Amino acid sequence: MNLRQRLVPYWLLGPGLLWLVVFFVVPMYFMGELALRSGSLTTGYTFSWEWANFPDSLSGHTEQILRSFFYAGAATVLALLIAYPLAYAIAFRAGRFRLLLLFAVIAPFFTTYLIRTLAWKTILSDSSPLVGVLQTLQLVPEDGRVLATSGAVIAGLTYNFLPFMILPLYANLERLDLRLIEAAKDLYSSSRQAFLRVTLPLTMPGIIAGVLLTFIPAFGDYINAQLLGGTQQAMVGNVIQSLYLNQRDYPEAAALSFLMMALILVVVSLYIRFAGTGAFMGDEDEARG
Amino acid sequence: MRPEAPNRKSGLGLAAAVIALVLALGLAACGGDTVGGGGSSEDATTAKGGPVEGKLAISNWPGYIDPGKGGTVAEFEGETGVDVDYIEDVNDNETFFGKLQPQLEQGDSGGRSIFVVTDWMAKQMWDLGYLQEIDHNDLPTVFQNLVPTLESPSFDPERQFSVPWQSGMTGIWVDTAKAPDIRSVNDLFDPKYKGQVTMLTEMRDSVPLVMKSEGVDPEEATNEDWLKAIDRVKAAADSGQIRRFTGNDYTEDLTAGNIVAAIGWSGDASIVENENAEWRMPTEGCVLWSDNMVIPVGAPNTPAALGWMEFSYEPEVAADLTEYITYVSPVDGVQDLLRKSDPQLAKDPLVFPTEEFQRNCSTQDSPPDVEPVNEAWQEVVTG
Repeated sequence: MNLRQRLVPYWLLGPGLLWLVVFFVVPMYFMGELALRSGSLTTGYTFSWEWANFPDSLSGHTEQILRSFFYAGAATVLALLIAYPLAYAIAFRAGRFRLLLLFAVIAPFFTTYLIRTLAWKTILSDSSPLVGVLQTLQLVPEDGRVLATSGAVIAGLTYNFLPFMILPLYANLERLDLRLIEAAKDLYSSSRQAFLRVTLPLTMPGIIAGVLLTFIPAFGDYINAQLLGGTQQAMVGNVIQSLYLNQRDYPEAAALSFLMMALILVVVSLYIRFAGTGAFMGDEDEARG
Repeated sequence: MRPEAPNRKSGLGLAAAVIALVLALGLAACGGDTVGGGGSSEDATTAKGGPVEGKLAISNWPGYIDPGKGGTVAEFEGETGVDVDYIEDVNDNETFFGKLQPQLEQGDSGGRSIFVVTDWMAKQMWDLGYLQEIDHNDLPTVFQNLVPTLESPSFDPERQFSVPWQSGMTGIWVDTAKAPDIRSVNDLFDPKYKGQVTMLTEMRDSVPLVMKSEGVDPEEATNEDWLKAIDRVKAAADSGQIRRFTGNDYTEDLTAGNIVAAIGWSGDASIVENENAEWRMPTEGCVLWSDNMVIPVGAPNTPAALGWMEFSYEPEVAADLTEYITYVSPVDGVQDLLRKSDPQLAKDPLVFPTEEFQRNCSTQDSPPDVEPVNEAWQEVVTG
């Protein structure tokens, strides 16, 4: 084999690698360098190995970090509870409407994220019919409100990231071999047992992919908290935005971004470890095990 | 044919190439090593005059001009042949500055030749060396028609770098059907209105009003006074008394009926679609401010920018503008023109405030030591 042939794998890797370098490694480098600067806007920020930026960026912001975990977690669970039956129905019960329903899942994306969130502001406003109904049903206190509460932010996150949960689940369910469920029933399992012991394990890759695709962006989101939240609903994204644009403490903003990335990485690694790497990589045998 | 295991040597070569690339980029970045800090205003350049032509990009606040065919931009284009790119991207001073600061630091104005920013922000930009000086000889109409009260503001006593666009007052917007009794800033803290009150994210609007309600003169206030007022706002935010901190979008909450009162600006009647809403002068007085046209460093077309300033100070042009946006015009003679065309507006105290009407008002100012106070405020606003 000559040199040219030996280089082929690298040429094939090249574009992906270049992408990673330009859009991940280089920005990370600049962010890391910025996180270690010190100074102020008037004196200028100079590089000085200022490690103290990292603990400083966390102090006073633990509340928003914990809140982000809670909001993103709640939105992910809700999205999963809504998406699973929906994806299941589209995959197995929709018949000729399947494509139409899939289109309906994606259709909201034709409107921009910001507009969709702003629309919820109108839907949830204090004098809206929806809030009136919720008040009549005693789900919201008579003098209570929905907009500018934690509930509104979680609802907004759930809504905005729901398709990211539905699509991987659907892709996974669609490939499910229905004969396996038949076989389970032939072996005298109840529908519930067949679901828990056959369908669910086989769709774990879809669930894991959906959970990651929902949780990670929801954790860093700041639009929903800004538009649908009030004074007590800020998430960590809002803190970073404020540090960067309003306080112009660039080093601290960069340090906090870095720490959040590390935190997410740890949480996701633990999650994948717990759920099994095979399931994440789409290896159904391991997921089944 | 099965590919062989990759050759170790060529793998190293690729890794080396990647490392070299990263290092090269890193070194290039280290060349211009500081972010912020900037030049100083002492060696500021003067905006060059000349023939008014070409393209002109302006950054202004939303809803701050009369749009359409007979609007100010179209008239200016018709008269001079300049192609105007009018961008409404100033939503609040801090965010606009935050967005453009890295470019301004490099001497680049993002293609714009005029920004419209509030007094203190104009001063902050000037101090950082981000603005050009203005030669009064280039602006005869402006300085002939500028109202005397705005000729020598404390932030720019000689009008070296700023030309007022519009002025206004910060006070209280009230939904009179739901809360007719709100007249003072202290009323906003009344538990009766819990969760139905908003304040502005702009520190220099909200905090001075709260200080005034405590009998502190914002123009003389110490850092402690500012921090004390911020503490009071924080307690109200924590208890749920304050629903949100807003920019211009308090007008949406007023329109939707989500709130009964808001700290807001005097000229926004045209964008509040709630007939019961009215702007009230707080019993403690208001905060007075102006938004100013400034010419940033690196502005691509300063002659056209100066031409725009001259044009907007022609009384007829300014009167059209006032009729549409209902803020306080800095141009002399507007009231006389409007007495003929729109007598009711000419009598409106929010558009032509008398000294008597503004007797308790304070000029907008920054805290003595901005950074710690701003940090405390941003923590409260972020939530």
